[in-house]
Amino acid sequence: MSTPTRFFRITLLRSAIGLPTRTSGVLKALGLHRRLKTVYHPVTQDVAGQVFAVKELVDVQEVDRALSDKEMKQLRQPDSGFYVERRAGERVMGS
Amino acid sequence: MLSRHLKRACLDARWTLPPTFLLPFTANLTTVSHSAEPSDIPEVLSHPALNPSYEKSTKIPLRKLQRSSQPPSPSADDAPVSPSSPSPQSSSSKPRPPRSPLVLSDSVRELLPLLQAQGSHYITAHIYDRPYLLTAGDTVRLPFLMHGVRPGDVLRLDKASNLGSRDYTLKAAAAPPSLRSATTATTPGLDPTTGHLSSESRVMPEPADADSRARTPGQAPHFIPHIAKFKHAYLDDRLFVCRAVVMGVEAEPMRIKEKTKRRNRRVKKVKSKHRFTILRIKEVTVRSLAEIERLRARKGEIASADLRQVWRRAWNSE
Repeated sequence: MSTPTRFFRITLLRSAIGLPTRTSGVLKALGLHRRLKTVYHPVTQDVAGQVFAVKELVDVQEVDRALSDKEMKQLRQPDSGFYVERRAGERVMGS
Repeated sequence: MLSRHLKRACLDARWTLPPTFLLPFTANLTTVSHSAEPSDIPEVLSHPALNPSYEKSTKIPLRKLQRSSQPPSPSADDAPVSPSSPSPQSSSSKPRPPRSPLVLSDSVRELLPLLQAQGSHYITAHIYDRPYLLTAGDTVRLPFLMHGVRPGDVLRLDKASNLGSRDYTLKAAAAPPSLRSATTATTPGLDPTTGHLSSESRVMPEPADADSRARTPGQAPHFIPHIAKFKHAYLDDRLFVCRAVVMGVEAEPMRIKEKTKRRNRRVKKVKSKHRFTILRIKEVTVRSLAEIERLRARKGEIASADLRQVWRRAWNSE
C-alpha cells in the first residue's frame, strides 16, 4: 500500500450524546472519543464515507501531513516565558 | 524525535517559517482571506507575523511608545520576525541563535531614553502565556509549581507585552485578532450549490465554493482547537532585562474532599495539598539605546565599518 499523500484533519465539534448508537460507533471508529479531539486519517473512500456519516458533528480539512499526538500537544503548550540564567550556588561569570 | 524543538519552533513569534510539516497547519492561522482552497494552499504563509515578505513590503514602523496621558493610538507591529533555531530546553540558558537585527522606529529612538530615565519601571511578563504585572521587589506566588528549578535559581523572564514607567509605556503590537471558527458564525450558512438556506441539494459543491467560508475575513478556514499561538504579542526581549529569583515553594492547607452518593454509607476522601512556586523579582530594567547598539555589535549584526557611526550615534543619544 502506498504512503498516503493527503490526510483528513478531523475535529469533533459536537457531541453524539442522544444520537443513534451507529453515529457514536462511527466516531469511535474514527478515534474521536471526546469533543475537540483532532485525528488524522488518510484520504480514502472509506474514511470519506465515515466522515459523511457524521458530517454535522465534525470539522474536516485536507492537509499534507498528519501530526502525531505528541506534536499536537506541543502546539497546544505555550512558551514558558523564562529560562534559568544561573543555578543556585553557581559562580557568576567573571567573579 | 521532537522534544521542545517543535514547540519553540512554532510558538516563538520570531520564526519566519515554521518547520515544513507545520506549514499547511499554520497556513490557516491568518486573518487574511484565502483565495486558494485549503487543500491547494501553497506553503506560503500570509500571516503577518510569519511572512517576512509582508513585513518588508509594508515597512511597518516596528514599535511606538505612548504617553500614558494621551489617548492610546494603535501600536504598530512589534517583534521583528527572524529565523531562530529552537533551544533544546526552554528552562536552561538559551543559546542565542542569529536573529534579525533589532530595528527601532524613530519614535522608539526618541522616547526610549525618556522611558529609561524615569526611575521605576513595571513590566507585564508572561509566564506560560499568563500575564503578571511586575516591578522590582515584587513577590510573585505563581499559581503552579514550577518544575526544574530550585530555591536560589535566577530566572530571566523574556516574554513581555508591556514595559512602562510613570509617564511612558512601551507596548507590543496588537496581537492578530483571534480567528473565529466557522461553527461560531452568526451569519446564516447558505448552501453554495443552491444559494439559499435549504440543504436539500444533491450536487457536490465545487472545491472553490466549499472554501467560501475561508474568504470571510476573520474566520478560520477550519477549526483550530487550543492552539497556543499569537494569543499575545510580545516585545523584543533585547529591549529589557527582567530577572527573578526562585524563593521557594509554598503549599496550601490540606483540604479533603468527601465523595459519596445518596443512600450510600461509603464515603471516599480525596486529599489535596497543592504547591506553588514563589518568585521574587530582582530587577526590571529598560536597556538604553547604547546598550542595544553594543549588543548588536557584539552579535555581529553591524559591519565593523559602520561601527564608528553607530557608536557616534549612541554617544550622542545618551
